[in-house]
Order: sequence, then C-alpha cells, then structure tokens
Amino acid sequence: MFWTVTLSLLKGLGAATQLFFLTLLFALPLGLVIAFGSMNKWQPFRFLLYGQEHPGSVTSWLAGWRPISWITNVVVWIIRGTPLMLQLIIIFYGPGLWFDNNIWAFSSGRMFACTLAFVINYACYFSVIYRGGIEGVPVGQREAGEVLGMTRRQIFFKITLLQMVKRVVPPMSNEIITLVKDTSLARIIAITELIKAGEAFMKSDGITWPLFYTAVYYLLFVGILTILFNRLERKLSYFR
Amino acid sequence: MSILEVSHIEKHFGATQVLTDISFSLEKGQALSIIGSSGSGKTTLLRCLNFLETPDRGTISVNGTPIFDAADSTTKSEAEIRQKRLHFGLVFQNFNLFPQYTALQNVTLARELLSKEQGGGETKAEIETAGRELLAQMGLADRADHYPHQLSGGQQQRVAIARALALQPDILCFDEPTSALDPELTGEVLKVIRSLAEKKTTMIIVTHEMAFARDVADQVIFMDGGVIVEQGDPHQVIDHPREERTKQFLSRYAEN
Repeated sequence: MFWTVTLSLLKGLGAATQLFFLTLLFALPLGLVIAFGSMNKWQPFRFLLYGQEHPGSVTSWLAGWRPISWITNVVVWIIRGTPLMLQLIIIFYGPGLWFDNNIWAFSSGRMFACTLAFVINYACYFSVIYRGGIEGVPVGQREAGEVLGMTRRQIFFKITLLQMVKRVVPPMSNEIITLVKDTSLARIIAITELIKAGEAFMKSDGITWPLFYTAVYYLLFVGILTILFNRLERKLSYFR
Repeated sequence: MSILEVSHIEKHFGATQVLTDISFSLEKGQALSIIGSSGSGKTTLLRCLNFLETPDRGTISVNGTPIFDAADSTTKSEAEIRQKRLHFGLVFQNFNLFPQYTALQNVTLARELLSKEQGGGETKAEIETAGRELLAQMGLADRADHYPHQLSGGQQQRVAIARALALQPDILCFDEPTSALDPELTGEVLKVIRSLAEKKTTMIIVTHEMAFARDVADQVIFMDGGVIVEQGDPHQVIDHPREERTKQFLSRYAEN
C-alpha cells in the first residue's frame, strides 16, 4: 500500500512541479516588465502645464498623470487584492460561463489555464519586489554610470541589475516558497496535484495517512529550495 | 582660447531659482576652485556641466565648440549628451563606486563598453594595463583587485578619481571630494588632486578646504545665493576679499 500511495503522490508532485517551474519561467521576467510599467514616468498631458501652474486644478492633475504607471498599479492592486483561488476559477470557468466558449477544452487545457492564472498572480507580486529592489539602488549609481557615458541600457544591465538581484533574493525566496504550497490551489479546477492525490485515498480506501504524507513532499521541496537560496545569497555576498 | 566657456547659465527647481546668470571661463591646464556655503548652487553648477541637470538658460562651450545651448533643443537629445558629457569627468562627494566590481573593474568598465561600441579600438588587455597604471598613480597598485567595501573612504575616493581619469576627460570636476571623509583621510585625497594640478590637469574643484583651494587653484569663484559674488586670483579672493559677502563667509569659516 505504501508504495502505491508513494507512486500516486509522485504523480501529483509531478503536476505541482510542472506548475511551479512554468510559473517561475514566465512570471520572473513578466514581473520585471510590470515593475518597469509601474515606474513609467510618461506624462502625455504634460503640455497642459505650458505657461503657468495652477496647483490643485484639474489640468495640473491631468498634466502630472502617468497613465502607464497608473494602469499598471490598478492591475497590480486588483491581482494582489483578490484571492488566487478566485482568479483561477474566473480564468478557467469564465470563458465557458459568460461567453459560452470554453477555450480550455483541449487536452492540457486545465494546466494551461492554471499556469496562466499563476503567472499573472505571481508576476504582480514579483513586480513589487523588483520595484523595491530597483528603487533601493542609490541614484548615485545611475549618475556615476551616466557621467561615464554609459547608455541607460548599459547602466541597467551592468550596474543596477546585480545590485537589484542581491536586494531581492531574500523577499523573492519567501514568495517562491509560498508558490510551492500555492500549487495545491490547482485542485480547485480538478488538477491532480499533491493534496488531491493524497485525498483520493480517503474516498477509495478510507485511509487518511496519505493526505498527511503529502507534507513530506512539500517539506523536501522547500528544503531543497532553501539550500539553493542560501547558496545564492552566499554567492552574492562578495559585495555590499 | 579658453577650454571651457560658460555663459549666462540659469537654473530653476520649480519656483526656486538656484543659479542666476553664471558666466566664467577656464584655461587649459588650470584649476578652478568654487567655494561658498551649502545651498549656494555650486554643486548644481557642477551637475549642469556634467549634464546631470539641464540649465534653463545659457550656453556651454568646450574648445570653442558649443556643446550645450538651452535655446537649441537638438543639443539636448540623449545620444548627443552622451557624447558631449565625455568632455567632463566627475568625482562625487560620496564616491559612488560600483560595489559589485573590483577597483580595477570600476576603472575599466566604461572604457571597455565605449571601445566595444566604437568597434574595438583597444583590447581588453590594453585597457586593463592603462587602468592598473592609473591606480598605481593613485598609490593603489596593490588594491586593484579589492572590492570597494574592502577599501577605506580615502582609497575609494582615489579609485573614483582613477575611474574618472580613465576616460581622459578634458575637464575633471570634483564635487566636495573630501566632505564624506574622516579628517585623517582627507590628506591622501588632497595629495592626489594636488599632483594632478602639478601635471596641469584642467580641473574644477568644489570644496570647503579653503587652504587647499588657495594653494592649488589658479582661479577661485565664490558663490552665494546662486550667483557668482567674486572671482579671481585665489590669494586675492581668499586672503583679501573685496566683497562684503565673501568677507562674511570667510570669517565664519575662520571661526569654525
């Protein structure tokens, strides 16, 4: 029995792992894009300020409006402000319910919808962490690059990026460990991840221990991640 | 012909006027010291020269060529500015070394990027040799492979000077280079700047070290409230100021 359960849970772990890595693969870069969006300074109505300033007026508000940053922040607020479980349900069931068009009807459709929901959700959380990391790099670093004739791109990739990475590793490790356990939410759209795989034995064989046995898998997964993150932190400790 | 010609520079931050009608010129091989109390606009002036701030009015010419004209927006595009700012080097008050690079890498990074961009005029090895030489000039030959956090403040500032010199600017600017240093470390940095003056490096030095300004500079500008109050020979301005405001500033300085 033990081996049957172990094997079955390994399959569940497979689905969870797949979701975990796919989410990281897309959400890590997407988060950076969103971070740049939220820091965007474009002010299309700046021209309204031409001449005089009237503090508090509608035109001066509009002149200072940064639409890209504003829209990005609203999206991040919505995504961070609602449960991932709800987002998962909306993305998977929404198209079929409201548009009578179940776009997820293909063979790996569930996993697809699930990954999409996770990527959007986690990219938003990552973006806030990235933003903090970028803004935490002193302005003097950028200015030093500028007076040395470096382009904005060179300044970002050669100077800011690594300093940002060093700053974001601790909060990111937190978020990524949460992701491991959040994969269990996938069961809400009937993906057999670890919890669902363990729970299945309660119905079929009337035993509860497989459900608690899933904890071992999570602990091992998170244990490995913790070791990797500690290594990364140590690797980046050569500078301050 | 002057190497640097600054005329009628003005700068506002919102409603505050920070610089008013700033004009001066600098000859090749000369050192200019700018003195004045905090908030007098001297750092902003230096930042304008290095394109970290954009003046609202005025022109800046290097070697007779106008490189900035507030009235001409074509002199303000990013690519243009990037080329032109290389006439100037800037040493910051708090060094701003790149922490993830060694002293040597700090010195060579920009030059390597630049030479790659221009189709590889110099090899990496050549740039590194030049970088090591510069560090040796700063008395840091044995610190080339140290990271900034492993160096003292004075050593960091000397690396920063080498980094600015690596791009061979026409004019090297110092923004209060010793203000962030412990008193016992200022000497080593001042010594390096003094040796640069002896080699006839064209420099603009914003400083609070009056004695140093008087000894090293060929010309001194005293600024107050965003205007140039007095300018001329260092011994005249610092030892025998003509203007009342300069006298007040210097006497306050003597008290401290």
